Amino acid sequence: MDLLKKIFIALGSMDRRFIFLLVGLSVLLPKLYPDFFTLPIKASSHSQRVFDEIDALKEDSKILVSFEYGPSTKPEIHPSAIALLNHLFSKDIKVYAVALWPDGNFMATEAFSQVADKFGKIYGVDYVNLGYKPGGEAVVKGLVSDIRTMYTVDLLGNDIDSIEMMKDVTNLLDLDFIFSLSAGYPGSKEWVQFACDPLGIPMSTGCTSIQVTDIIPYVENDQIKGILSGMPGAAEYEQLVQGALSERGVAVSPGKASINMAAQSMAHVVIVLLIILGNITYYLTRKSGKNGGVS
Amino acid sequence: MDYMDIFGVWLSVFLTLSIFSYLYKDNPFYKAAEHLYIGISAGYVAVISFWQQIQPNLFGRLWPRIDVNADMGIFKSAWYFVYDVLNWVSTLGGWLDRSIFPANGIKGFDEISWIYVIPFILGIFMLLRLIPTLGWLARWAIAYIVGMAAGLRFYGFLNSDVLMQVKAATVDFSGDWWSIFNGLILLVGTLSGLVYFFFSKEQTGIVGKVSKVGIYFLMIKFGASFGFAVMGRISLLIGRFDDLIVSNSPENYYATMWLLSAMIILLGIWAFLDKPKPEDLAS
Repeated sequence: MDLLKKIFIALGSMDRRFIFLLVGLSVLLPKLYPDFFTLPIKASSHSQRVFDEIDALKEDSKILVSFEYGPSTKPEIHPSAIALLNHLFSKDIKVYAVALWPDGNFMATEAFSQVADKFGKIYGVDYVNLGYKPGGEAVVKGLVSDIRTMYTVDLLGNDIDSIEMMKDVTNLLDLDFIFSLSAGYPGSKEWVQFACDPLGIPMSTGCTSIQVTDIIPYVENDQIKGILSGMPGAAEYEQLVQGALSERGVAVSPGKASINMAAQSMAHVVIVLLIILGNITYYLTRKSGKNGGVS
Repeated sequence: MDYMDIFGVWLSVFLTLSIFSYLYKDNPFYKAAEHLYIGISAGYVAVISFWQQIQPNLFGRLWPRIDVNADMGIFKSAWYFVYDVLNWVSTLGGWLDRSIFPANGIKGFDEISWIYVIPFILGIFMLLRLIPTLGWLARWAIAYIVGMAAGLRFYGFLNSDVLMQVKAATVDFSGDWWSIFNGLILLVGTLSGLVYFFFSKEQTGIVGKVSKVGIYFLMIKFGASFGFAVMGRISLLIGRFDDLIVSNSPENYYATMWLLSAMIILLGIWAFLDKPKPEDLAS
């Protein structure tokens, strides 16, 4: 028994760099050998809600997609953006992109370039990228009153009035849905507070994991219609979209989030085991400390 | 793939590995990458904010495009003379190409919006922080921003976070048993959590007991937040590993493998040279 105690205490005082290595390997191995680490993905009620809300939109509906993330949070949110655009373009829904983060310009441009051509969508007719404006909630308020007070040109420098799909759009009330791809402030919270709650426009979100506990009260209260929680949420949504598009005869390759979920799950298992180990060691050292050391 | 693309891949791998090297310990690679990241981020945000907001939405409203043949009057001519002076300054006396202040005004708006002179002046006040004797003027601009933000946010928080969430915390007794049970847990959690942050009364007796219940609810919240934080960080790690694996392809000349090997060797040498000398330890 004492030997076991000593082993646990020795493991507890392991150099932190071994823990980093262990976590790194738990991510790397499933990436290098994906066939050995295949896990099923089941959609949660929140991801299903997002899918149902988007799926219920009619052809030629107008949706505003806000890109509020950058390269640092791309692995978590970009798969949601790609799956969302696949879903929207397959249903011939018109997409209006804005960015509350400067990096959002890059993310939006990249997402459109990955998806638009596949569905034969034309810039200015089927989708438009209005670009970034600094100001956070002030920008959202501006869009609520008049889009043209904030945007006179799109991201490419085209006069906003020369863009076909902008002709009958004055403010957010002319849109049917808002989707916030959010990694922090300004993001989903600001859209809820300054656009969706005051105007009654339905909204869903795909956000980083760290934001989920802040956003979930809005989801539970139906102020936000469903949430894609980080990479797992993106993977679930990818699966739902892939299934729906397959039924419509559109071939879509598995999304990045779905591919990466095995690595995510393995890392979680390792971290949970390390937390349990840490607690056992802490318990033993505290107890032995009270008894005057390990006998 | 051209050489610039390959250089970009090698640079991104180098910076990623430099940041990861902090897991070993603080070192020159990490410091260089950190400084570069902060500098580039600040520069990028400044440039984007200028070209997407200040130039079209502020200067564009103050000096909209004009018809050169139309009679402008003395006042408007003087106003556009200011515009030409600003152009002269921004092009370093005509040495650089005209870009911020194009000829005959900025396209986008039809009329001059005089109200925008106020944010223009406040913006200049903000920059005066760089001049110690006039730095106090920046307080006016900051006061405006703080006041405006407080007012703007007050309504949003009161409506979405207070009123609507209070409404959501009520128990609907007309629902099924499960929803009533859930509603009661939510109500008890909300009230006991609030009692924990009520510092006007000593937390003893019944108040102490309720606040202790609140602590348990808060712990559950913090646990959930921690779990989600771990999940998020692992996702980001996966993202970087994805890029490192792709960068290790033959088309990229095995960037990850070469740079990782070089960095390990250099860090080894650096750690060896950086060892504290015995006399340093003694002192």
